[in-house]
Amino acid sequence: MLQFPHFVHAALFAAALLTSGSAHAQGAPGIEEKAKLCATCHGEHGIPINKQTPVIWGQNEGYLYLQLRDFKSGSRKNDLMGPLAATLEKDDMLALAAYFAKQKWPNLQQPSAPDDVAAKAKTAAGSVGCPACHLEHFQGDGSTARLAGQWQDYLQATMMAFRDKSRGNNPGMSDLMKATSPEDIAALSQYLAGLQIDAYLGQGR
Amino acid sequence: MVRCKMAGALVSALVIGFAGVNLHQALAQEETPAAPTTKHKDAPVASVSQEQLSGAAGDENNFLHTNGNYEQTRYYPGKQINTSNVGKLRPAWIFQTEVKESLETTPIVVGEVMYVTTSFNHVYAINAKTGEAYWHYKHKMGPVTTYCCGPNNRGVAIHGDKVFMGTLDSKLVALDAKTGSLIWQTDIAEPELGYSETMAPTAVDGKILIGTNGGEYGIRGFVRAYDAETGKLLWNFHTIPEDSTGVWATHDATGKDMHRDIEAEKAALKKLGDPYKTLGGGVWQNPAVDLKSKRIFFVVGNPSPDLDGSIRPGDNLYTNSLVSVNLDTGEYVCHFQYIAHDVWDLDAVSPPILVDVKNKDGKSVPGVIHAGKTGNVYVHNRDDCSLIRFSEAMVDQTGMWSLPTPEGTPMLPGANGGVEWSPMAVNPELGLTYAVNLHQPMTYHVESSPYPGGKLWLGGAFKVIPGSEQFGNVTAVDYNTGKIAWQKKTPLPMMGGALATAGGLVFTGEGDGWFRAYDAKSGDVLWSFFASAGVNAPPASYNVDGKQYIVVGAGGNVQLDFKRGNNIIAFTVD
Repeated sequence: MLQFPHFVHAALFAAALLTSGSAHAQGAPGIEEKAKLCATCHGEHGIPINKQTPVIWGQNEGYLYLQLRDFKSGSRKNDLMGPLAATLEKDDMLALAAYFAKQKWPNLQQPSAPDDVAAKAKTAAGSVGCPACHLEHFQGDGSTARLAGQWQDYLQATMMAFRDKSRGNNPGMSDLMKATSPEDIAALSQYLAGLQIDAYLGQGR
Repeated sequence: MVRCKMAGALVSALVIGFAGVNLHQALAQEETPAAPTTKHKDAPVASVSQEQLSGAAGDENNFLHTNGNYEQTRYYPGKQINTSNVGKLRPAWIFQTEVKESLETTPIVVGEVMYVTTSFNHVYAINAKTGEAYWHYKHKMGPVTTYCCGPNNRGVAIHGDKVFMGTLDSKLVALDAKTGSLIWQTDIAEPELGYSETMAPTAVDGKILIGTNGGEYGIRGFVRAYDAETGKLLWNFHTIPEDSTGVWATHDATGKDMHRDIEAEKAALKKLGDPYKTLGGGVWQNPAVDLKSKRIFFVVGNPSPDLDGSIRPGDNLYTNSLVSVNLDTGEYVCHFQYIAHDVWDLDAVSPPILVDVKNKDGKSVPGVIHAGKTGNVYVHNRDDCSLIRFSEAMVDQTGMWSLPTPEGTPMLPGANGGVEWSPMAVNPELGLTYAVNLHQPMTYHVESSPYPGGKLWLGGAFKVIPGSEQFGNVTAVDYNTGKIAWQKKTPLPMMGGALATAGGLVFTGEGDGWFRAYDAKSGDVLWSFFASAGVNAPPASYNVDGKQYIVVGAGGNVQLDFKRGNNIIAFTVD
């Protein structure tokens, strides 16, 4: 059984919110309050509660907004995020995206890939042109996700979900993953997870 | 897929919790953003008149247009730096921008002031003699920026007392040329639908002309004119007409069979209707302007989705075409399509050049030339866009027009060309045009998917064949005969562009950091400089206080993954 250290806190918090009457009457909680709800899964300090839940702290703003938009519309299907996003309006999504983009991406302490895996990953990335959108350090930008330092399991699952189209909100990514072998995808997820790119961030953006 | 298993009750609680929080009030508490311009001092720049802009081809002092002049010849008229002394060319100054990322800007020089742009839409005004910064503008970027090939920017346009730039979040900004402060900003098109800008605009007659990115995202492309004073839209030309089907051409402009299944396409057309709304057709580079006839000439990019033609039957007009429209109204005048129903992303991107050419009868006529991603230089009649000739192929075209398959089919040229967005330069005395080429073996893969609402939509993938030999060329083509005059191989595929000068030189840079001067007649390398980052931007030249400078950006390139840097380097002969 999975451990959820924040499970009880989150449940109590949400219950408190429900029972305290209208949020407006007490003065609307700031965005930090709203973000606490996200922390239930995505982590109070940005480290998600499990390896299948992606880091969103420090993720790129346009990408975060588009995922919330796509969860709501159903073009990206997820049993948890769907209902949550359904309650958000566009302004909410933009505000949440802006909030999380400003946070610092946590160090998940994943090891650097060994040389042979890194070489295989770099060849695969160069072949379909990943850096053209995800940029040199896989930091992404705008609507393109940061990949560097994301959970390996999440990267692996995501690339494969693009590949079999079970993640349906980017056919271009699906095509690129279809053209990439599962062996290359495994190397990519290990390589990307182990990248430490703090030194390269903020190059003029 | 998120496998955070939680009790249904808690999910509901979270949902209700979310709904109860008002984010709008939270937004009001956001801090005021910092002003986007840092000014050290006013740039000592005079207003730029239309007369100056029109006379740029003969102006040795300034470099007023991204491609040198309205004809886009990239031919600098000064001779001070020439074949006899270029060997002594040395850096006069190096300016370092804040942005270490893909650098594709052409420096614009007015008097002693130089304007350069960087990835992520910074603009610097710097002293063209010393490299000292006057001011630095940093565009306040929206959250959604949709670009296929790097966050780069190709430069500003200058007109009157303002400089103009297109941004990654599909806006057009006008800055005070002296102080860098933002004067106006106009939304061009919706970034969520895949629109963005990396091209430099063109300024003419109080109008700012600009195209759009987005051929990888299912846009409907355009060229527009905005009012230079106010930013208001003056006219819009759709690069995709509502009837995009055309003439069902089965062969390309060079006469090669493109293996179209016309019957299948006609059946698809009956079923799907005209695909014009999401057919692509971005315009990546500046239009050439013919002031006498009041017409502009530009080339249109690929259809969307790039590789999957099954859902976009017809010739897909005016993708992969030379197009001419009226400068004042944007009305269509003529077009010539290089590739009908392209399924290889071999689109028309390198900016067209207006130059007198010999027609089929040997008579000199006003012409338009363009270097295709296909690897041929095309030579047209300016009056009706018709094709006079096409050059010998500058690159290997083995297997050309092999259809993409799910498993991937090899074909040359690869999807970057041929010739990419890199502008050519012309030496009108020699009748030569200079193109920088790529040789990158790739496999073309096709996959069908429906329009994804502004997300990446390639209809497949292009894969570089691992381990295959890649290289580039600098090629001089005689546009009056179509013959290759000379060709020099380079170790890496080329991206950036060329500058030709009246001193008999051609300048162009390479991805490993080399920046070279070639003898325009023979192709001999006369000078080389190692810039330590990819020189993947078009060079420029200007003269201040009687001294000629060559200037180029060295910041690498994201599309070819060339070493990044952040330098603008100006050279003189001491």
